[in-house]
Amino acid sequence: MSSEPIERRVSYLGDRLRGRRCQLCGKEYFEIRDYCGNCGRKSFGKMEDIDFFYEKGRLELCTLVTEPTNKFTKLGTYVYGIVSFHDGKIRVPGRLTDRIIKDGEAVDFSSLEGREVIPRFRRRYSVEKSEIIPTISLAFTFADEYYPHQEYRPVKPSKEYDVPGIVGYGFYTSKFRIREGNMERAVPFIDEDAITAAVEAGKLALIHSGVESMLIGKVYVGSESNPYAVKPIASKVAQVLKLGEEDEDVQGVDAVDTEFACKAATSMFKDAASLVSYPKMGVAYAMVIGTDNAQAAPRDSPGGELDFFVGYGGCAYIFGKADVIAELEGWYSCTSDTPDFWRRDGEPYPMHGGRFTGDPAYFKHIRKAAKKLMERLRLQPSDIDYFVAHQPNVHFPVRIAKELGFKEEQYMPSLQVAKFGNTYSGSSPVGLAAVLDIAKPNERILIVSYGSGAGSDAYSFITTSQIVDKRQRQKMTVKYQAENPFLEYVDYNTYRRLKLGM
Amino acid sequence: MGNRPVIVSAGRTKFGEHYEKQPERLMEEAWLKASEDVGLERKDLEACYLSDYFLPITNKLGLEEGFLSELTELHVPMDVARSFSSAFVNACNAIQAGKYSLVLVGGIEKMTDRWDKIRDDLMLLEDPWSYYAGCTPEANHELMLRAYVKSYGITGENLEKLNIALAQISVKNHLNALKNEYAQYQRKITVEQVLEARKAARRPLGLYDFAPISDGATAVILASEDIAKKLTDKPVYVLGSASATDYLTYPSREDLTGFVASRLAMEKALKMAGIGLWDIQILEVYDQSTVMEMVSLEDLGFCQRGTAWKTIYESCQNYKGYYCISGKKLFVNMNGGLKADGNPLGATGGAQIFEVFKQLRGEAGERQVLDDKPLRYGCVLELEGFGTKGHVHIFGVEAA
Repeated sequence: MSSEPIERRVSYLGDRLRGRRCQLCGKEYFEIRDYCGNCGRKSFGKMEDIDFFYEKGRLELCTLVTEPTNKFTKLGTYVYGIVSFHDGKIRVPGRLTDRIIKDGEAVDFSSLEGREVIPRFRRRYSVEKSEIIPTISLAFTFADEYYPHQEYRPVKPSKEYDVPGIVGYGFYTSKFRIREGNMERAVPFIDEDAITAAVEAGKLALIHSGVESMLIGKVYVGSESNPYAVKPIASKVAQVLKLGEEDEDVQGVDAVDTEFACKAATSMFKDAASLVSYPKMGVAYAMVIGTDNAQAAPRDSPGGELDFFVGYGGCAYIFGKADVIAELEGWYSCTSDTPDFWRRDGEPYPMHGGRFTGDPAYFKHIRKAAKKLMERLRLQPSDIDYFVAHQPNVHFPVRIAKELGFKEEQYMPSLQVAKFGNTYSGSSPVGLAAVLDIAKPNERILIVSYGSGAGSDAYSFITTSQIVDKRQRQKMTVKYQAENPFLEYVDYNTYRRLKLGM
Repeated sequence: MGNRPVIVSAGRTKFGEHYEKQPERLMEEAWLKASEDVGLERKDLEACYLSDYFLPITNKLGLEEGFLSELTELHVPMDVARSFSSAFVNACNAIQAGKYSLVLVGGIEKMTDRWDKIRDDLMLLEDPWSYYAGCTPEANHELMLRAYVKSYGITGENLEKLNIALAQISVKNHLNALKNEYAQYQRKITVEQVLEARKAARRPLGLYDFAPISDGATAVILASEDIAKKLTDKPVYVLGSASATDYLTYPSREDLTGFVASRLAMEKALKMAGIGLWDIQILEVYDQSTVMEMVSLEDLGFCQRGTAWKTIYESCQNYKGYYCISGKKLFVNMNGGLKADGNPLGATGGAQIFEVFKQLRGEAGERQVLDDKPLRYGCVLELEGFGTKGHVHIFGVEAA
């Protein structure tokens, strides 16, 4: 059993890469120091907080670890080295992640040394299943590969809207894929899970929105693959991303996890929008994240049919009333108690009720939610530019789109399941992100999620002119991640191993 | 150094895997060897300074002092430090202060009792942050080699020579250990074997570049000058003894190509001893890896920085038993070093001191060094962690 106080301190410092800088001599420390070693007593009160979570480092030196210590054995062979920040003012130990080094594969260290790297928030090492999952951002990937460096530059809002809406968003998935038939599905690296994807997605949403992280008043994280039965993902997101005002070592933000199969996140869109609209609540922004390392039993066991479709990824939306890129026009949700898909507590994989999948579940609820919302807003399919549906596979969303009267150009841009797999809570949100990536101002988007159990949320958004202005801030678009030259394809056994995690 | 402490005797066990022996049996064995030589009994001891790096972890023993008191029926003061050198320095200080005139310094480690977790323990104790980031006990040595090669711009043919020089260090240490009946590995290895092991590991250093994990115990009996005279006619004086410290986290140190702690400790120790660097004839360095032996020659001042590999390479082309540095002879790691003699952490420094003690007294048997002039001065460098602590001791057969 690890020590909880030690774990708390290590993750507090290591997840965010916090440090202090002496304002007298400029020396920097990767730790919270109250005085500078050079300047001594006169530096008391002159140490400023720094962190290098959003910064680019440089891999100074590296070697290969072929015989890891016990807690790292699941990583296999990996590159370990020294990473510097701020032109060498800070040097930290770090390992390269997102690399599968094959047996016997030689690594040319000099070709890696000197290259720019980016800290990634990952699991630190393996522990017993009953223990707290240790995390750290001393895992790095190269800045000129899949995950580019993006500065986080908070911007003062320029326009207040009457209606709340989406202010920024981010989609994150790993660079690993499994390709079977016409489908590609995202696979987490072995040190990734629903928590790390949530943090990454939230980070990208902050970068895209330009919202000051301390102004986020609430964060909701929807997932059905939280590695914990009890312990929120949202608390990790809040602390790593410093959401709300930091006061000593707590964040002034409300953070909560939600669960409703694949609609755990979309369900909270209306709550986030309401919260930022209610004047006396004093919440400027609220963040909603859908994240899943979508679970599926192995193919030959009960529930194994899901194994053909599951993906990995997280999607984050920031709602607010300032600098809105897509205004919320209306919503409708419906629910019925339907036994189509479930996972009992303590069971590793969900079960899939064959009889109830499809018509009595997916189609019924999506159809109802879409029709009701269109009725209420007096919309015809032709009034809608983009239709986004939950995407458990390729056929369901196409069938429901056609049935509702949508044409290919309306539903195809959102169809991402063949690129990333079913990302469960992130599924329809990824479709929405793909549409927001390309939508012009003043276009209407209808998104209808579906969560087993069952229910659907339908939302209508209308884009604003700011959608174009903000686009340049985000390199990690859906398309960028779908068609990236650094994608790495793995075989079935590797996919299962990576998905299981460390 | 006034009121000089004197080593009157030293003893040790064979290093290696002693799974059949309790830790205290090893300690006893080392003590008996040391005490028999000078005809001492337990009751003659006024205090015990002991060291183990992590016996409480490997053997789940706390307050080892009480444990040893129970075994020995000794009620004298005992103190446990984390390295033999730390214990040794404390003992020297007490003798110099006039507090005691006869003490035992003992070191013990039983690493193979926890062989399945030992590398995690070693790394976590060396530096937690590096451990969290995925470091192994070997990786820092390899990074230091990378730093060395890059910062001195060693490429092409020179780089090849450097890699061979490092292999030669290991070969030389194994060769020396052939004549050391206490050594963990008494077998010859070749440069090709060292290079092959690196290739197999796909890393800058391989199996034969690193010291093993070991069990073992060592003991040194220290006395004040007047008591020493009664016990032996071949006293070995502690002429200088100094320590220095450095950051725990290797990556955050300013200089990545060597150990500041070694440099500072050596400066102070030489000053205390009042001798010149080149008065030193034999040297035991802390070669946890071949890289450590190479950089230590520079840290201690025997080689210019960035050049030790050349010296080693040239000396080993036709190895005569010593390194030839600018025409001067330096006998290094005559016991086989940590590489071949073994490295039971808390006892290792004792084996280094044992070697210099035996050599200076001309009692090193088959491996006795024959210098052009009689042996007078020897030096020991012991490190803790990855250079987080450095201890240098200078010994002489007569007052300087």
